[in-house]
Amino acid sequence: MANINYNPNLSLCGGSAPAPSAPGAQASLTPAPELHVCMGLNACKGHDRTGTNNCAGTGSCATAEQHNCQTLNNCRGQGGCGLYGDAEQQMRPGDNECAWQGSCAVPIQAERFSTLGENAGKSVWLQARKLFEERMMRAKRNFGEAPFKCGPPQNWLISVLGSYDSCGNSGDKRCSFGFNDPEDNAKLLCEGKKE
Amino acid sequence: MIRTNFFSKEGEVTPANLGEAIQQAIEIEIATIPVYLYTYYSINRVPDQDAISGSLSQALVQKGVPLARANATALELSAELMVYANKAGALIMSVAIEEMLHMALSSNLKQALAGLPELIGKSPSKWPACLPGHEPEFPINRDKLSLDQLMTFLKIESPDPLPDKKLLKAPIPYKTIGLFYQMIKDCIANNDLRYNTHSPQLLPGKGYYAQNNVDTLYYDKKHKPHFTNAADSGDLLYVQDRDSALHAITCIVDQGEGLPGAPGFKDGKVDCSKIIPDDYDDFDKKELSHFEKFARIYCSYEQLTKKFNALGIGAIDISSYFVANVAKNPLTAHYPAEIRPVSDFLNGVYTYLFVMVENCYKQSGNTQYEIFMFGVHKSMIFILNSVCGDIMKLTYKNSEDGKTYNVAPTFEDYPFGLISSPKSQLIDLYNAAVAVYPTISYLGQRVQDLPDVPL
Repeated sequence: MANINYNPNLSLCGGSAPAPSAPGAQASLTPAPELHVCMGLNACKGHDRTGTNNCAGTGSCATAEQHNCQTLNNCRGQGGCGLYGDAEQQMRPGDNECAWQGSCAVPIQAERFSTLGENAGKSVWLQARKLFEERMMRAKRNFGEAPFKCGPPQNWLISVLGSYDSCGNSGDKRCSFGFNDPEDNAKLLCEGKKE
Repeated sequence: MIRTNFFSKEGEVTPANLGEAIQQAIEIEIATIPVYLYTYYSINRVPDQDAISGSLSQALVQKGVPLARANATALELSAELMVYANKAGALIMSVAIEEMLHMALSSNLKQALAGLPELIGKSPSKWPACLPGHEPEFPINRDKLSLDQLMTFLKIESPDPLPDKKLLKAPIPYKTIGLFYQMIKDCIANNDLRYNTHSPQLLPGKGYYAQNNVDTLYYDKKHKPHFTNAADSGDLLYVQDRDSALHAITCIVDQGEGLPGAPGFKDGKVDCSKIIPDDYDDFDKKELSHFEKFARIYCSYEQLTKKFNALGIGAIDISSYFVANVAKNPLTAHYPAEIRPVSDFLNGVYTYLFVMVENCYKQSGNTQYEIFMFGVHKSMIFILNSVCGDIMKLTYKNSEDGKTYNVAPTFEDYPFGLISSPKSQLIDLYNAAVAVYPTISYLGQRVQDLPDVPL
């Protein structure tokens, strides 16, 4: 998108409601999959990016639109979280109320940790999966294991998506940095420990 | 900078001039924001460790150090430098976001006691700038990270008065920011004031403020994250009575200067000795005051410089490894014609942030929430941060000294006109910028999404 045009009706609830119109001819509708933010968070069979998963919780990737920062999610339940947002928001990855209320990128790479709240320093994906499993229990639904036990590693996301980025200036968890051991750090997060 | 007139008897805050004094406090907070942000963006927080290590190792081998030892030394020192660059950035950003908190707390205070806070057009327009009313006056530059720049930061946050030279007439004079706030505190504590609880404020519990984010953390040598702000050090606060007003001011002063008793300069120099409990601003002693954060960056800079220069491979300026080559106090007008539209757009976003925050004091409920969450957050965290990164990829030759510099964000107030809405003008600025710098085209939709807020 290069040039953009100003339209006062595009601001929040600006402008008046459109005139009511009669529904047209019945379109052929394909049921849309539920939109969710990452691997292992799908509630239904076939509801992952490839549409081939066999069970709840086993999907490979997000159906929500990929994005790389806070406030960029399209709608309810489509925002990641972890690197920005207050303590309450950071406890609810993939569980935001509305558009632009997510506080970080989608999908959620396994290396991401929370920066505030009870989950500070711990895995965001595991928190998202915990919320998902609680939802499935409430719905009395069985679910399977995620393809990666602790969420999709960043390198894997890059390999399948072509590129992957989440916001921030403090550095990529996989980059060369002092004497870091990305695998060891990832293992700690995966075990639910603080880094 | 549109300077508010602060009419007052010297050194006295009374119920009659309390509103002017609080507005002065707001402008003091605003004056620090472009300074800290400018230095923050001059830092490459993730320099190329392999390149640093490789060049060090090569120089050591040329000096006769055995290869294995040279490699080990180079690896260790390059890792220390990586941590330093990453940490310096985190600490400066952690202070910058607390200055934004202080601006909001002071604005809440003014809304409760004296009416609408004025935020638009209050960034310094002349550089070097100064803190309104500070005695003695001292020059504040937008400059890259250096010991001199850190010394300026320390003067801003000093808990002790600086050596005095002259008195000012216009703004209410003060020796330290803490002492200035103390005058306001005394006025609030000693007078029976009426608190307006009907006008909107920026309140806690709505997700407006977060103490930490990915930019306020740094990684140690093993790439383990460390958070520089503590969750209990401060938050937004509803100013509705004397106690809450005093609490808001205490938060501002403690975060800036530390607890009462925190030492400042020692014999005019930075005190690099051990940290004491009063240097913290929170109950759990996890967050240092602004002054002490800057002191730690200063002291580590000196220590690391000594280590590098002890290698015997010539004089090394460690900043050359991780600080961008940006000019001191650049203005958009200094940039070549093909770069100015990008700088204007950046300044438009920067100014629109103040337009939106000021508007939040006129709006309540969901409208305020949407302006703040979708306008301020999206502009600050995504759009402004992205443009700052993109603009610094450009270089220009300075016509004054003939040297080549990276283009830097100038954080000037953009003069939005009254004929059309600021957002429509911001879109015009974006269109002009993307025409000369298509790299920023990914921001178009995000600019389009911003709320339409009037001046």
